[in-house]
Order: sequence, then C-alpha cells, then structure tokens
Amino acid sequence: MAKLIMFHGRECPHCRAMMPLVDQLEKEAGIVLEKHEVWHDEKNADLMRSYRPVLTPQCGGQLRVPTFLNTETNAAVCGEIPYEKLKEWALK
Amino acid sequence: MKKTFWRCFVCNDIHYGIKPPEICPTCKVKNAYVEISASEAKTCLAPVPEKEFTKEDFLRAIETLAEGQEFMINPDRARLETLFEGIFNNERNHGLKYCPCRLICKEFEEDLKIVCPCNFLIHETYKGVDKGECWCGMFIKR
Ligand code: SF4
Repeated sequence: MAKLIMFHGRECPHCRAMMPLVDQLEKEAGIVLEKHEVWHDEKNADLMRSYRPVLTPQCGGQLRVPTFLNTETNAAVCGEIPYEKLKEWALK
Repeated sequence: MKKTFWRCFVCNDIHYGIKPPEICPTCKVKNAYVEISASEAKTCLAPVPEKEFTKEDFLRAIETLAEGQEFMINPDRARLETLFEGIFNNERNHGLKYCPCRLICKEFEEDLKIVCPCNFLIHETYKGVDKGECWCGMFIKR
C-alpha cells in the first residue's frame, strides 16, 4: 500500500513551519503521514538514505528536510512549500 | 588536483590545500611552506589544546565571515537559536556541524558539503534570488 512519508529534522525551521500544514492536511483529507525524524534516530536516517536515488534528483541533488515522499509513485517534494502544493502531492 | 598538507618552516603553521599560501598569514614570511605527510600534520596539531567552541564563538565567527559581504546573518534570533541547537547537536552526535535542514549520506566528501557554514552561494534559494537565503535561512542577502 502506498505510504506518505515525511522526513523531518527536529531543529529544522522549515520542518517546524510545515508541521501545522501537515496537521491541517491530515484532518482535511483524512489521511496520515508517516513522520520520521532523521537527525536523532539512525533507523529513520537510514530509511531516508535508502531512498537517496529517488529523492536527490527531485530535491536539488541532496537529502533535504522536510521531504515528503509517496512510496508508491516515488513522487517527492521538499522544503517549505505552500499548503496547496503539499495537498496536491498527497492526493495525487 | 589533490589536497595535501603544508607546514610553514618558520612558524609551523599547518595548511591543507592544493597549494600553500604565498605569504604565511601568521609570520608573513614569503614562500615558507613545505609539503608534509598527513601524519606529520596530525602530529604537529595533536598537542594543540582542545578549547570549547561555544555557540557565542560560532555566532562571532559567522558574523565575521559576513562582514563586508553581500549576505548577513538572519536577524530572526529564534530561528538562529533553533539552527544553532541543531548544528551543535549534530556536531556532538555525528562529528561535525552538519546542516540541520539536510541529512548526511555517509560519504565523507559529499557530507563535507553540508558542514555549516556551507557554500550557500550556489543554493537555488540564494543564487540569482532577490531576497535570497541559504537553504536554512541562516544567511540572508543584505
Ligand atoms: S544552509 Fe545555512 S544553516 Fe544550513 S549549513 Fe548552509 S549555511 Fe549553515
């Protein structure tokens, strides 16, 4: 089953800014994003690194947070993005 | 070209790079650098006492870096505090002051590119952008 994943960092201001938008989206669309903090949890970091070939071409050649990934389509968006763009990614 | 170590034969400053400085920044002597091995460099540097480098030291260092440049430190103190927290946690937990808004891929050369401050002048959030900033928003254009 497709999973929607958010990779984030505890001390990343972009991630903090996106959290309320993610909450809003989850409520509005009735979906849940799997959230993985990557700087304080090695398993989560390894999981993000395992998607490196998929993520880097879509995210400026690097592993950046926040990154939103659909594990079925491999569609990813990164950084602080407007609500509409996040929604579009999630519901595609 | 490969970087290597150099030692000033006058004041024993150590330099790492493809070429040494023409004039030693410490003793000002010209053409004073001789190529040395990595182990000699490490031995020369080993007795240098560890000194705590605090967040205040880091702030002072990046403020000095920004002096007279087209960029400055973001005046948003809350944002800076969050970033400093991440940068210092990353140094404690992962060995270097890695960027809190990216992740290391565990390839040393690649990971050096995200040590803070990084070369944000090439970030697409900065280069050619009107109110450009580094990926994390710690440095902003003046
Ligand atoms: S993007 Fe900004 S905060 Fe992140 S490493 Fe580069 S300079 Fe530091």
